[in-house]
Amino acid sequence: MTKTIAHNDRRAATASLASDRAQSSRVPMIIFYVLLTIIVLMYSAPSIGVLLASLKSTAEIAEVGVWAIPRSFELTNYVEAWNGGNAGIYIRNSFFVTIPATIISISLGVLAGYTLSKLKFRGSNALFIFFVAGLFFPPQIALIPLFRLFNDLGLYDTLWSLILIHIAFGIPICTLILKNFFAAVPTAIREAAIIDGANEWQILTRLMLPLSLPALAVLTTLQFTWIWNDFLWPVILIRSDEMRTVMVGLASLKGQYSVAYGVQSAMAVYASIPTLLVFVFFQRYFIRGLTFGSVKG
Amino acid sequence: MTRTTYRWAALFLALPLAVYIAFVVFPLLSSFYYSLTDWNGFDVNYNFVGLANFEKMFSDRLFSNAIGNTLIWTVAAIIVPTGGGLALALVLHERGIFANIYKSMFYLPIALALAVIGQIWLWIYQPNWGLINATLRNIGLENLAQAWLAKPQFALLAVILAWSWQQTALSMVIFLAGLTAIPQELIEAAHIDGANYFQRVRRVIVPLLAPASVVVIALAVINSLKSFDVLYVMTRGGPFHSSDNLAMFMYNESFQKYNMGYGSAIAVVLFLITLAVIAVYFRQSAQVERLYD
Repeated sequence: MTKTIAHNDRRAATASLASDRAQSSRVPMIIFYVLLTIIVLMYSAPSIGVLLASLKSTAEIAEVGVWAIPRSFELTNYVEAWNGGNAGIYIRNSFFVTIPATIISISLGVLAGYTLSKLKFRGSNALFIFFVAGLFFPPQIALIPLFRLFNDLGLYDTLWSLILIHIAFGIPICTLILKNFFAAVPTAIREAAIIDGANEWQILTRLMLPLSLPALAVLTTLQFTWIWNDFLWPVILIRSDEMRTVMVGLASLKGQYSVAYGVQSAMAVYASIPTLLVFVFFQRYFIRGLTFGSVKG
Repeated sequence: MTRTTYRWAALFLALPLAVYIAFVVFPLLSSFYYSLTDWNGFDVNYNFVGLANFEKMFSDRLFSNAIGNTLIWTVAAIIVPTGGGLALALVLHERGIFANIYKSMFYLPIALALAVIGQIWLWIYQPNWGLINATLRNIGLENLAQAWLAKPQFALLAVILAWSWQQTALSMVIFLAGLTAIPQELIEAAHIDGANYFQRVRRVIVPLLAPASVVVIALAVINSLKSFDVLYVMTRGGPFHSSDNLAMFMYNESFQKYNMGYGSAIAVVLFLITLAVIAVYFRQSAQVERLYD
């Protein structure tokens, strides 16, 4: 009884608080949103600028500058970036690296994450820390030995080197997220399947994988974005133009098109479209992945 | 654990472990080995030079310059994205549908590559028609307009600002998740007790955000140590090495001058700095955890 009263009291207090806020704050609310809009516009200016520049001809940019609103929307820069700037080849290379590296790094993470959460053995926690430690270290530390290794393997200046790198460097985050996900799946499910005669491979592929779709979605968005956006490894391991990924292609475009700002921005837009699409359609998973571990519980 | 389970565990772990050791752990540790040599990157033969590469650092002004710049970047990483991200999160948290649309606009830089971001910010700093100088001229501050990236005193800060643009968005996302986890009653109780907005933020919300803050700061510091793309696109460490950080300096020594032995020694220093950051991070998060249990 007292509990209900206390509850009602609080509800009443909250309700009056809410109406207070609504009455006293209509004008401040408008000011708040005007200020917020200005901040949003300032914050988005860099992205909007690139989009605007990509839609203007070189002559128009020379006349009114990169940042002005285009008079008519022209797609000539996009055509030029595709034909003269090799955008098609760069984008194809990026996909050739990103798709297999994303899938395989997650698959290896599934194997490690499942084993370290459900098939625990002495030392499995230490092994988990060993896997996750890789998350913290700047990849630059391994740069020179890997440069040498790929030279010795004959994989320098091939996309294979990038695929292998991104599989290996993806293992820590994939193991971390999947281990924690599998740990939350009730062990009773696994035990019931064992009684039914299933082996670990069957349990993993038929039982655990379907359950882990949300975690797989989180990892796919994260891995795809990171691998696609990577710049360091192709700078180090790729030399020839036809092997470049789109990020390095973008940076190398400056020479040939050093003042063709419209073509440069069209290339920047091309380079960003795949990750932006992933971001727009899977934002929920992307954000969940980014905030993973930051909130307790 | 039966024997078959052990066998499955070994089978499942074999491939991930082999790939991880071969392409991450082993190369990482090999840097220690190369740091004791004078390897030039392509010769089969090289000599062991002991600690000569590390001794060289003490007299190398470019090295101390890179260390100093890395430190500046780290300090900026602790302050700018954390403060900006917190402010944005507080402003946007639970403000209805409008704010949710705005939130997506703030998320956007996270999806962009740092190489693209560097490209965009080159145009913001462009001397003739760049956004900053154009704005300064329009509001009558023409004498402040200058070639930002060509000035040694501004280049590093300009790159850090561009980098912070993305890092702030990342911090905001984490703070927003942290805010969602704070029980609404605590804030309302403070409100009823007469605490105004700023008191509520300072005394209730910020202390309760401690776990998120630890993650935000650790992430920013580690990302600042890794930062290379944005620097490469914008200044390549110039002008006159004024914006070199350790990662850039190491790249220049190893892949421009082909001093791979010296480059490996720089990598070892980067490794030790990272180790120190991780130690601080785990101590802080353990402390926060004890406080909240």
